[in-house]
Amino acid sequence: MVNIKDDFKDLDLTVGDVFSKDARLKARNVNVFYGINKAINNVTIDIGNKEVISFIGPSGCGKSTFLRCFNRMNDTIDSCRIEGKITLEDENIYDDKIDVVPLRARIGMVFQKPNPFPKSIYDNVAYGPRIHGLSENKEHLDNIVEESLKRAGLWEEVNDRLLSPGTGLSGGQQQRLCIARAIAVSPEVILMDEPCSALDPIATAKIEELIHELGNEYSIVIVTHSMQQAARVSKRTAYFHLGKLIEVGKTKEIFTRPRHNQTEAYISGKIG
Amino acid sequence: MFNFYLLVGIIFISFIFFIIGYNEAKNIKKINNIKLHSLSHYYGIFVLLASLLPSLGMYFIFTIGDDLLFASLIQNYVPIEVVKSEDYNFTIILAQIKNSVEGLIFGIPDQWVTDAAEVWKSWVYQSQIITSISCVFTAIISGFFGYKKINHKFRSRNAVENIVMSILAVSSVIAILTTVAIIFSVVFESIRFFALIPYDEFLFGTVWNPQFEGAERAGSGQEGLSQYGAIPLFAGTFLISIIALCVSVPIGLFSAIYLSEYATSKERAFFKPLLEILAGIPTVVYGFFAALTVAPFLRSSGSVLGLDVASESALAAGLVMGIMIIPFISSLSDDVINAVPQSLRDAGYGLGSTKNETVIKIVLPAALPGVVASIILAVSRAVGETMIVVMAAGLAANLTANPLEAVTTVTSQIVTILVGDQEFESAKTLSAFALALTLIIITLGMNFYALHIVKKYREQYE
Amino acid sequence: MNKKRITPLEATNSVKKSIVKRRSKDNRLKLYGRIAIGLAVCFLLFLFYSIFTKGFPGFFQYYVTLDINFDRERIDPKGDLSDNSLFDGEASKIVNESLFSIIEPKGRKAKKQAKKIVSSGKDVRIAKMVKNDPSLFGTITKVKFALDDDIDSFLRGYIKRETPESERRVSDKVIGFVDKLNQDGRITYEFSDYILKGSASGNPEMAGIKGAFIGSMLTLSVCLLISFPLGVATAVYLEEIAKKNRITEFIEVNINNLAAVPSVVFGIMGLAIFISIFGMPRSIPLVGGMVLALMTLPTIIISSRAAIRAVPPSVRDAAYGIGASKLQVIFHHVIPLAMPGMLTGTIIGMAQALGETAPLLMIGMVAFIVDIPNSVMDPGTVLPVQIFMWADFAERMFIQKTSAAIIVLLGFLISMNALAVYLRKKLERRW
Repeated sequence: MVNIKDDFKDLDLTVGDVFSKDARLKARNVNVFYGINKAINNVTIDIGNKEVISFIGPSGCGKSTFLRCFNRMNDTIDSCRIEGKITLEDENIYDDKIDVVPLRARIGMVFQKPNPFPKSIYDNVAYGPRIHGLSENKEHLDNIVEESLKRAGLWEEVNDRLLSPGTGLSGGQQQRLCIARAIAVSPEVILMDEPCSALDPIATAKIEELIHELGNEYSIVIVTHSMQQAARVSKRTAYFHLGKLIEVGKTKEIFTRPRHNQTEAYISGKIG
Repeated sequence: MFNFYLLVGIIFISFIFFIIGYNEAKNIKKINNIKLHSLSHYYGIFVLLASLLPSLGMYFIFTIGDDLLFASLIQNYVPIEVVKSEDYNFTIILAQIKNSVEGLIFGIPDQWVTDAAEVWKSWVYQSQIITSISCVFTAIISGFFGYKKINHKFRSRNAVENIVMSILAVSSVIAILTTVAIIFSVVFESIRFFALIPYDEFLFGTVWNPQFEGAERAGSGQEGLSQYGAIPLFAGTFLISIIALCVSVPIGLFSAIYLSEYATSKERAFFKPLLEILAGIPTVVYGFFAALTVAPFLRSSGSVLGLDVASESALAAGLVMGIMIIPFISSLSDDVINAVPQSLRDAGYGLGSTKNETVIKIVLPAALPGVVASIILAVSRAVGETMIVVMAAGLAANLTANPLEAVTTVTSQIVTILVGDQEFESAKTLSAFALALTLIIITLGMNFYALHIVKKYREQYE
Repeated sequence: MNKKRITPLEATNSVKKSIVKRRSKDNRLKLYGRIAIGLAVCFLLFLFYSIFTKGFPGFFQYYVTLDINFDRERIDPKGDLSDNSLFDGEASKIVNESLFSIIEPKGRKAKKQAKKIVSSGKDVRIAKMVKNDPSLFGTITKVKFALDDDIDSFLRGYIKRETPESERRVSDKVIGFVDKLNQDGRITYEFSDYILKGSASGNPEMAGIKGAFIGSMLTLSVCLLISFPLGVATAVYLEEIAKKNRITEFIEVNINNLAAVPSVVFGIMGLAIFISIFGMPRSIPLVGGMVLALMTLPTIIISSRAAIRAVPPSVRDAAYGIGASKLQVIFHHVIPLAMPGMLTGTIIGMAQALGETAPLLMIGMVAFIVDIPNSVMDPGTVLPVQIFMWADFAERMFIQKTSAAIIVLLGFLISMNALAVYLRKKLERRW
C-alpha cells in the first residue's frame, strides 16, 4: 500500500479529461451519503454519446454506488442521500419534477448477478415493452422480443424454447437474457454493474463481445473488477479510489501511461 | 394430602442418600488419598437418582393401578338384580359408588351402593398403606444398592449423564405419545360410531339431528329419531370460513403488500406488532364481541334494509373470525414477500417499473406459493376455531348458503355434544368423536400441504 | 421484419404517454394497502373500545346505605358466631326493616317487592362483618348493600322509565321506592367489592371473578410445571443430543403437526384419555393444566429449539476444548445462553393457555362452581370459561361483569406479552 498523503497533493482534483464534447450524461460535484458515511466524494464526469466507458478501482471504492446514481437505483435504499447534479440531456435527474420510471426506461441497467424473473424467456424480454406500452400488437411485441434476443446474441440458442423459464438457462445465457431484457425497452444508456463477475471465462468473452457491438448504438457504462476487461471493451476508463474519481482518460493511455501515481499503483497491482 | 406427604417423604429419603453418597466419595478421597474419576457431588447425585427414580416409578404404578383394580373388583359387590336389569351401565354405577366414597350423596342411595362405598374406602386405606410401605422400601433398597456401587473405580459422572440423557430422550417422546393419544382416542370412538351409523350416512346425509337414544338406534333399520348427516355441519363450517376469508384475505394481503413494499421502516415497526395483537386476543373475547356487538348491529342494520337477519348468524361469526385471522395472513405473507430476493425487485426497477408493476407482476407471482400457504393455514385455523362459532353462529343445523341465517359448524357441535354429562355409549356422544376425526383430517391435511408448499418455495430461493 | 426498430425517442414518448395512468395505478395500490391496515387497526380499536366502554362500568355498581341495628340476639341467636348460628339469625329481616323504615311500603305485596331492592347477599354480608369485628354488636352502624341487578340496570338507564310498566322488569312502585332512597342520598355508585373478590354467582350483582382467577392460576401453574421442563428437555434432546435420523425426523413432524391441531381436539383427548381411561375427576385444574400443557408444548419446543440454535458453535467448541462432557456443555453453557429465548417462548405459550377456552369446556371446567378451589384437585373454572358462561346469562348486568372480566384477562395477557417482549429486548444477545 502506497502512502497516499506523501504521494499526492491535490486530492480533490481529478486528473485527465472528465469532460466530453458530445455528452449524454453529465455528473457535477456528486456526493453520496449512507447515513453519515460519505460514499462518493465530489465526483464530476461526462458520459459521451455512444461511448463505452469503464469504471475501475479497488473493492469498496464506490464505483458501483456511483453507477447506481445514474438511474436513481439508490432511491430504494432508505438511508442513502445524494448531493450534486446529474443531467441527462440538460435535465437534472434529481429534480423533484423528474419521475424515476421514465428515467429508468431511458437508462437501462444490467446487474452483477444475472437476475431473470421466474417467468418464461419470452415474458422476461417482453416485460419492459409491456409495462411501458411500447408495442402496438402481439406481432410487434414478438418482433421486439426476437430483435432484442438477436442483438443480445441469444436468439440462436433459445428460439425453440421461448416459453421455458428464464431461470433454467446457464449463467452466461441468463446474463445475456438480462441484457436483452434491458435493450428491449430501447434505452439510451445501459449501466452494467460488474456483469461478468459471476460468469465463467467463455461466457464472459461472449458478453464482452456483445458489449463491444452494443457500443455502436448505446452509451454504456460498465463497472468492472478486471482491468483486462476494461481494456478490451471500453474506449474511456475512469479510476475510482475511496469514493473519489482519481483519473479519467483514454483506456489505452490509462493503462500504458497513467498520470496519477495512485492509478499507476493500482494498475501495477500495488493496490487491489 | 396423602399423596403429597408420601412424595415429600420419598424425596426426603433420596436427599439423605445424596448426602451419604457425597460424604462417601469425600471419604474415599481422603482415606485412599487418590483422585476420583468424577467430582464428589456426582456420586451424591447418582445415589439420589438411584433411590428416587425406582420409588417414583413404583408410586405411579400404584396410584394409577389401584383405581383400575378397584373398579374391576367392585363389580362383585353390585347385586345380581342390578346387573341383570335392562338399563345396566357400569360406568354410571361406578360413578355412583365413587360419589358416595367422596361423600357426594344425592337423594337416598340404595343400600348396596353405600356398602360398596364402604368396601371401596377400606381398599383405599389398605392401598395407601401398601403404597407407602413399598415406595419407602424401594427408595431405601435401591438407594442402598446405588451407594454400594461407589468405589474409586466407579465413573459416577458418566452414569449420571447417561440417566439424564435418557430422561431427555424420554421427554421428547411425549410429543409422539400425545399424537398417538389423540389419534387413539378419536379413531377408536369413531369406529364405534361407524358401527352404529353407516359412514355414508354420516358423510352424505343432509339432516343432523342427534338425540340420546342409548346404544341401539331406536327401531334400528328404520327411520329413527336421530339423524347423523354431517353435510349441514360441513356446509356451515365452509360458509363461515368463506365469509372469514372474504374479510381477511384482502385486508391481510394488502396490509402485507403495503408493509413490505411501501411502508417506511418506522411504519412497519409500528403496524406489524399492532396487527399481531389481533392474533393474541383470546377467542372467547371475539365470541363475546360477535354475539353482543356485531350480531345485534347486523340485525338492526338488516332490518333497516328490510332484511331478516337471524340473531345468531353465519355473517356475524364469519366477520369476526375474519378479523381474527387477518394477522395469520398478513404476517406470513409479509414474510414470504420479504423473502423474494431484492435482485428481482432491482431488475424490475431497473427497467423502469413502478412499485405497483414490480409488486403485481414480479414479487407477487414469485411469492404466490407462500401466499397461498398462508391462506391455507388461515383456513385451517378458521375451520378449527371453536369459541366464536359456539357463541355467535348458533346450533341450528341449517343447510343453507344464506349468510344471514344461523348455521352450525363441526366444532360447535362437538362442544355442544360433549359439554356436560354424557352417556359414553350413545351414538350422540360418539358422533362428536367422528366429527373430531374429520376435523383432524381436514386441518392436518391443510397444514401438511401448506408446509409442503412453503418448503418447496424456500428451496427455490436457497 | 415489417416494423422498424423502436428508437429511444419513440420509447421515451411512449413511456411519457402512459406514465400518468401508471402512476395513478401505483398510488391506488398504496391507498388500498393503507385502507387495509386502517381497517384492521379500526377493528382492533373498535373491539377494545366496545369491551372497555362496557367493561369499566362493570367494575362499579350501585349500593344503598342502610342503618343496621346490630342486635346480637337476632343476628347470632346461639351467641357463638358459628355458621349455623348466623344462618339461623334474622339478618335479612333486620336489613328489610331498616329499608322499610325509609321507603314505607304499604301492604304485603309492596313489602315483597321492596325486599327485592337489596341484593339477596345482604345476610352473608352482615355475617361476614360481625365475624370480622364482633364489637359491632349492639351498635347502629351504616352499612352499604349492593342493589339488585334489575335496580342497578334501571339506575344505569338500561331499563327506562318511559317503557310501559308491563314490559319492564322494574315496577312503578319499586321505581318510587328507589326514587325515595335516591332523594335520601342513600344510593351511591362505587367500586364494586364483588367483581374482584366475589365468586361465581347466579345473582349478577354478587358475581365476581376470584374463583375463576384462582382456577386460572392453578391450571396455569400445572401447565407451566409440565410443559416447561418437558418442552426444554425435548428441545435440548432434539437439537443437541439426538442424531438426525428417521426417528427424530418423525418427532419433528409430530411436533409441527401438534401445533396445527385445533385446540378443541386436545379437549377431546383429555376427555377420552385422562377422564375416561385414567378415571380422573372432571372439572379439576390438574386435568385442565395437563391438557393445556400438551397444547402449549409445541410452542415451547419450537421457540426453545430456535433459541438453542442461536447459541453459536464457538461457545460449544470452547467448552469441549477444555474437556467438558456433552452434558456439562449443555447445562453449563447452552441452556443458560438459550434461556431468554426459551423463557420468551414459554411466556407466549402460557399466554395462549391463559386465553384458551374450548378444550377446558370438554373436560368439564364449565361447571357452575361457587367454591373457590384450594388445590389442583378441587373442581374449579378459569377466567375464559367464566367469561363464556357469563356471556350466556340473560341478565343485563352480566354484560358489564363479563366485559370487566375480559378487561382483567386482557390485562394479564398484555402484561405477559409485554414481559416477553421486554425479556427478548433486554436479554437478547447479538453474536
